[in-house]
Amino acid sequence: MDKRIDVHHVTRVEGHGNIVVEVSNGLLKECRFDVVETPRFFEAMLRGRSYQEASHITSRICGICATGHATASLRASENALGVELSRQTQLLRKLTFHGEILDSHVLHVYMLVAPDFLGVGSVIPLASSNPEVVLRALHMKKLAGDLCAVVTGRHTHPIAMTVGGFSHFPTADELKALRQRLVDCRIDVDATVDLGATLPWPNFERDTEYISLHKPDEYAFIDGEIMSSDGPTLPAERYKEVTNEFLVPHSSAKHTRHRRESYMVGALARFNNNFEQLHPRAKQAAEKLGIKPKVTNTYLNSAAQVVEIVHCVEDAIQIIDQLLEVGIHHEEPSPVTLKECNGVGVCEVPRGMLIHHYWIGADGKLTGANCIIPTNQNIANLESDMKALVPTIMHKEHKEMQLDLEMLVRAYDPCISCSVHVLKLESK
Amino acid sequence: MVETLVLGIGNTLCGDDGVGSYVVEELAKHALPPGAQVQDAGLPGWGLPTWLEGWKSVFLIDAVDMALPEGSWRSFRFVDERYLLQEEALSLHQADLACGLALAQELNLLPENLYIYGIQPANRTPGSSLSPVVRACIPELVTQIIQDLGKIE
Repeated sequence: MDKRIDVHHVTRVEGHGNIVVEVSNGLLKECRFDVVETPRFFEAMLRGRSYQEASHITSRICGICATGHATASLRASENALGVELSRQTQLLRKLTFHGEILDSHVLHVYMLVAPDFLGVGSVIPLASSNPEVVLRALHMKKLAGDLCAVVTGRHTHPIAMTVGGFSHFPTADELKALRQRLVDCRIDVDATVDLGATLPWPNFERDTEYISLHKPDEYAFIDGEIMSSDGPTLPAERYKEVTNEFLVPHSSAKHTRHRRESYMVGALARFNNNFEQLHPRAKQAAEKLGIKPKVTNTYLNSAAQVVEIVHCVEDAIQIIDQLLEVGIHHEEPSPVTLKECNGVGVCEVPRGMLIHHYWIGADGKLTGANCIIPTNQNIANLESDMKALVPTIMHKEHKEMQLDLEMLVRAYDPCISCSVHVLKLESK
Repeated sequence: MVETLVLGIGNTLCGDDGVGSYVVEELAKHALPPGAQVQDAGLPGWGLPTWLEGWKSVFLIDAVDMALPEGSWRSFRFVDERYLLQEEALSLHQADLACGLALAQELNLLPENLYIYGIQPANRTPGSSLSPVVRACIPELVTQIIQDLGKIE
């Protein structure tokens, strides 16, 4: 049996990255994004643990994408074991997933990106100059967290999701209350689109390969085939033909490449590949923001996140309607028959395509695991962007150039929150 | 009716940093004055203001490095000791709590009465258990919080 035993360098999602740019005599000498975190060995931790524990362990890879990791983990085990999911389970999984996307995107757009555009250093002075903007963001974030808590028992690190189903179910009244809050939230969503439409997005065009999951009948967040803007579309099980992980000396995070030197995952890739499957109100938001596929300006990844905020709120309302129509009911998780097997689980977490691949022994314990995280997939593309951007901005003042580069890194919404705090920029 | 929120803060996977969660878990087993509620915020970060919003009084329970003997605790009014929050390494997740409070302050969402109950941690390494000396202070702290809840007007 094919076993994945390489446990190095994969699952870092919080931590430190450095921008290192060196320009000498008007020539770009050095241009790197260093990831200097130590490996966290989550895949090694999974070996010998029951498939039932895997989602709770891997959920801890990230405090933002906890539901995403749990979902990819469950889908890996379920695909390995041949577990079919009920309609209710699928709807509840999608609903809580929307909550997490909403939470993460609101945090990124308002707390991390907006301060750059509004000329303030962080969210604290933003709260002073534009308190209504920050309050709006916090209220949307709270709603998103409460949605996750109602469906999965906790704001972060879901406890009610299990292989084959759920161990706890929201009541109809809880769902109705959530629905009302989501409907009321449309005012905040519209205001978010209006805000996005006024932001002076930097001009920077560089076409790259955009990779995301794809489903013909819905905007893919959970499951689907792997779609490349360069083609072709591949089944998720053949992910290695897409990711082609490789090591570089300056980064403890693996890099990836497919048909070009690098590719991009995340909201912009999804927007480019799956525009047709967006909710009509999300398409209207895109029009208001002035974006339509194919968008090749990386900075507009945050604008694509705004479009997804609209989609998630609207789709969450529809999902709740479907759940209420049938009636939410207790059901046991789908039964599992143990066997030696392996399976791949994929989803689109806020920052892009996430892959979990598990090998499970006949005793139900994992013998191997492979997790490929979106930020890793984006690092090579970020470096390609930096190399294209620097020559166009090297005439600028040191401070402006630094800000442009920091904003480029932030546009990827990398899950290495401190990456731009240790920025080192040398102009000679 | 007195409306007071007792809010535990901290990471239960990080040793004594999780003491706030353990204290509110213990408190929830006791009869509390009408209008008092107990919640566990975990690591609210920037989201802290919406936890505080709408409450007249809030007690925050958290591990705080106050250079006191391990396992000792003290309570103070936020307005009296605000400067402490700007010190380095006051709390194990200083940036989170300090930033959350600063943001709440900017947004005018601080409750009229905000008290912080700080417990001096002994062990900050990853792990899901409290050190004995910190665990030992919980009963006394719980008794004091219940008494203080009764005094809030």
